[in-house]
Amino acid sequence: MRGGLSIVLALLLCYGCDRKEADTPPDFAAILYPDDNASTPEGVDLGERLFFDPLLSADGTVSCASCHQPALAFSDGKPLSVGIDGLVGFRNTPSLTNVGYLHQPLFWDGRATNLEAQALHPVGTAHEMAGSWPVVIDALRSRPTYVTAFREAFGDVPIDSTLVGRALAQYQRTLVSMNSTYDRVRQGEAQYTEQEALGHAIFFDLGDDPGGPFAGLVRGECAHCHTPPHFTNQRYANNGLDEAVDLDDFTDKGRGAINGQRYDNGRFRTPGLRNVALTAPYMHDGRFGSLQEVVAHYNSGGEYAENKSANVRPLGLSVPQQAALVAFLETLTDDSFVVGSLRGVGLNTDSTDYSTD
Amino acid sequence: MKHLLLYLLLLLGLTACLDDDDLPAVAETDLTLDFRAEYGGEGLAIQREAYGYPTGDTLKLLLFQYYVSDLELLPAGGAAPVRLAEIDLLRWNSASDSATLTRSYRVPAGEYVGLRFGLGVKPELNAQDPSTFAADYVLNEAEFWGPTTRYVFAKIEANADLEGDGRFDTGLSYHMGSDALYTTVEFARDLRIGPGQTEQLTVVADVLRALSGNGETFAIDNPDQQAVHGGNQAVAQDIWNRLAAQFTLEVR
Repeated sequence: MRGGLSIVLALLLCYGCDRKEADTPPDFAAILYPDDNASTPEGVDLGERLFFDPLLSADGTVSCASCHQPALAFSDGKPLSVGIDGLVGFRNTPSLTNVGYLHQPLFWDGRATNLEAQALHPVGTAHEMAGSWPVVIDALRSRPTYVTAFREAFGDVPIDSTLVGRALAQYQRTLVSMNSTYDRVRQGEAQYTEQEALGHAIFFDLGDDPGGPFAGLVRGECAHCHTPPHFTNQRYANNGLDEAVDLDDFTDKGRGAINGQRYDNGRFRTPGLRNVALTAPYMHDGRFGSLQEVVAHYNSGGEYAENKSANVRPLGLSVPQQAALVAFLETLTDDSFVVGSLRGVGLNTDSTDYSTD
Repeated sequence: MKHLLLYLLLLLGLTACLDDDDLPAVAETDLTLDFRAEYGGEGLAIQREAYGYPTGDTLKLLLFQYYVSDLELLPAGGAAPVRLAEIDLLRWNSASDSATLTRSYRVPAGEYVGLRFGLGVKPELNAQDPSTFAADYVLNEAEFWGPTTRYVFAKIEANADLEGDGRFDTGLSYHMGSDALYTTVEFARDLRIGPGQTEQLTVVADVLRALSGNGETFAIDNPDQQAVHGGNQAVAQDIWNRLAAQFTLEVR
């Protein structure tokens, strides 16, 4: 099983080579592997074990995968994340689809500069794993199989939180989705339905092209922020969820709480949309239960704040056009990604349990 | 055979004469180039300032950015241009951003007669798939028109108060870019760049002058002109023309 993951990693690392030989540009710009944390099969295997291991939480009940569930494209289906003892957090769990390709700061508010740093946050957060790094490290050091796995991945150095973060980051960089209907259409291997094609045209504002087949079609204004190939521009925006006559009125200040800049209050990182149909509910606070509600929100133009994105404006989409936009968003689902990622489930519940050896 | 040996020795001697050590040294020096964004002659303050507009309206800028290609110094005497950058993106989109962005280069010291760049992404790069570049390269800043169409060369985004009620509730979004719009901007100025006597160069772009100038003002209160994206570039043509024409080079 873990050998399979190593094969996936090897294929991922060689992917660009294969495409180069075919004289075809790769689908995505290559993942940036940090100089101090180059991915190895051993590191990825270790990261996967840690990802699914509740050992990282205070009472051994919550793992990374508790919120980042493979079947839901590594989200959890809940409006707000739920951690140890059922404690409810204050943000929606973001999907991890293609997270390794993102090189700008992570989390809804950008408080982690990279995957290695991000992986360290939940362990000590009270409403997530509520753990303690010294305790976690002691537990890992006391388990021979983990000691061996860390040595194989990183050499003969003491296990610490940095290495845990590096291993988790290596695993997350293998979570690659590139086989959705959208991708296959681009590669000439599939075709959109009429409804999906209409949604595609709305999403990408093809109505703006006076000589194109959709000339004059209403625009969705989606791709300004949800820019392909990962359907995010990795920047922060206020998408008009809440009215704020004064910028200090936002209850969740988002990016502004991190950088102390009140003009960034109410701004959140634009999430990627790959596999978005699997990651309901939506928005940083999970307020919308369906893609239909999301599209209806954008169609309305959103609520007033002086820092609302200038691209969030009343769209004038008809009901069939809204349905078409949803149909297009559903083409971003990659079933092979979900199925392929399920192998980690149960990794720490069998007889070779790494958390109990 | 003997002649061949002599020939090889001669060739070896000539090669030695051409060793790099014997070439006249070209001194390189640091060059700092500032890119300054302004509105009406004052340093651009994203979101922080409410700016007056010639129509009597007020606006707050959210974003101003533009690509430059083939940023080059032009040596005196007609030598080949000195490339500072093949491509760069100048972006102001946070209230935390300074009005001045600074870039540093290493260039041959000497006399120059100008600075030039292409406003936008030059056609050779505009035709390339961004996936061939590194994920954090300046051409992978998600400034694409679509999955197969390339770069948005420049953006101006703002929220305007058109009713005078203190609510900046009208979004203005001007996105421009196409091979046809690509424009060379050139400043003919004598520049002395050398150790200890490098002049400070600042490329200044004024957002107001891109929207209003030469007796013409872009009508931001016209609903048909509040969002210019993608294929309706004709609407933005005059913004682009003013944007390309308004750059200045300050030398201090």
